[in-house]
Amino acid sequence: MKEVEVKVIVTGSVRGEAIVSKKPISFLGGVDGKKGIIADIQSELHGKSIKDKIFVFPESVGSTVGSYVIYSLKVNNVSPLALVTNHAETIVIAGAILAEIPFFEVENRDITKIVSTGDIISIDPERRTLTIDKKSNS
Amino acid sequence: MYLTKEQERILEGEKGEALSKMLQLIVKIGEVNGAEKLISVNSAQIAGVSYLTVGDAIFSFFDMINKDNLKVKIPSWLNPAGMDMGRYKEMGIDSLFSKKQIQIIEEYRKLGIKDTLTCTPYLVGHEPKFGEHVAWSESSAVSMANSYFGARTNREGGPSSLASALTGLTAEYGLHLPENRKPEVLIEVDAALESFADFSVLGFWFGENQGGKIPFFRGIKQLSIEKAKSLSAAMAASGSVAMYHVEHFTPEYKKIKKEDLTETIHFTEEEKKAIYERFKEQDNIDLIAIGCPHASKKEIKMIYNVVKSKQKKSDVDIMIFTSRKVLTDIETVSIVKELTKKGIKVYADTCMVVSPVTRQNYRNIITNSSKAVFYLSKNKETNVFLDTLENILRRTLR
Repeated sequence: MKEVEVKVIVTGSVRGEAIVSKKPISFLGGVDGKKGIIADIQSELHGKSIKDKIFVFPESVGSTVGSYVIYSLKVNNVSPLALVTNHAETIVIAGAILAEIPFFEVENRDITKIVSTGDIISIDPERRTLTIDKKSNS
Repeated sequence: MYLTKEQERILEGEKGEALSKMLQLIVKIGEVNGAEKLISVNSAQIAGVSYLTVGDAIFSFFDMINKDNLKVKIPSWLNPAGMDMGRYKEMGIDSLFSKKQIQIIEEYRKLGIKDTLTCTPYLVGHEPKFGEHVAWSESSAVSMANSYFGARTNREGGPSSLASALTGLTAEYGLHLPENRKPEVLIEVDAALESFADFSVLGFWFGENQGGKIPFFRGIKQLSIEKAKSLSAAMAASGSVAMYHVEHFTPEYKKIKKEDLTETIHFTEEEKKAIYERFKEQDNIDLIAIGCPHASKKEIKMIYNVVKSKQKKSDVDIMIFTSRKVLTDIETVSIVKELTKKGIKVYADTCMVVSPVTRQNYRNIITNSSKAVFYLSKNKETNVFLDTLENILRRTLR
């Protein structure tokens, strides 16, 4: 069981399966806001769904319109359980607040190297911790 | 962060859920960036207008906002749309796109936002004042506000500038604070800068090599508003640069101390040539696109002076993009009539970057804007070239 400290941007207590993008994500063009799947053809997660999962990515890039894409994930009932990143910036902060999706930042460590796709993780906003409950290959 | 009683009550939802969310957004962005308090802003310039970029995602957002009948608290204006709002059929815009685009602008209007539909608010009577705090989101306009006018704004996004429009507030961090407006690198401009394209090339080069930093340019001999606009747009596109200083020209250059500048880089003829060489015309051009950022009255007149005694070649389309305010100006109207007679299209409200028609209908586009080159070349099927306005027109006119 591994524990990582997180900074709470939008609060919420969550537990679920992680889906990890190794590359920075552009929500505009990179995520389909209607279907909740990764649309970026260059992403290793292309075609995979982020619905009801904890979406982990190193940082976000691209147009600020990305915030509206995050909001539409919520409206279309395909939103992830939570968002976790190494670097919280304006696009995702705005999107997560509008959509009320719990959002956490991990400082000084690369979370995409600690958590892998398929791991079961839980985040406790009170204790400000992210815990890996079960590794995907164990 | 310190919040007033009134701000706390808004956060708690006293004035509705939508306004609470808008303020939360500003507070959270501020917290992450280390802001200690919120400050008032005098205007908001809002990106996220073209249906090409916002898509259907924005409609669900409008639904949420509209529940509380919100209105803007400060003068607020829109960035360009995906089409000329009067002549979209002539542009070749399909009916679904035009319907959605009209709806988007109608939604913004309901909030009290003016449909200026331009990336150059400072050319249509909305010049920011020195020292004034604003919340602008169009990246070239952000840089113009900070650098050329000495106003203060961070690079806002569509949603955050809208949040500022509806609350009249932003968080005090980044370029709102004087200590963050100092230059970080000295650029000795050894190359001769004449045309708008030359200034655009300098900006592109700086952004690409030193992105994110604030430069202090020395050796620039003249800086009109049009040249500053070309420089601002290019650096903001290639390197997210939100501010620069130019010795003798920009309002805050005198505050700069020599000892602040520890790093010096030269921009020589060689660097300038290398950029032009990279985007040199290679194929048969099918579109000349001018007006990124939107053309000023002076630029439209300049184009007219070059083309008035000449004829356009039939296999090349020429489009000039500007704001509605400039297009309908008494002085411009007669010039535009003459340009139209020569087959040159002058469109308002949109541009080559945010309208779908340039990518859909043309394969080899030439422009004098590095910003347009930067964005249009992201589409693999479009070749985009860069040259000075004079060279472009000389080669394509008879």
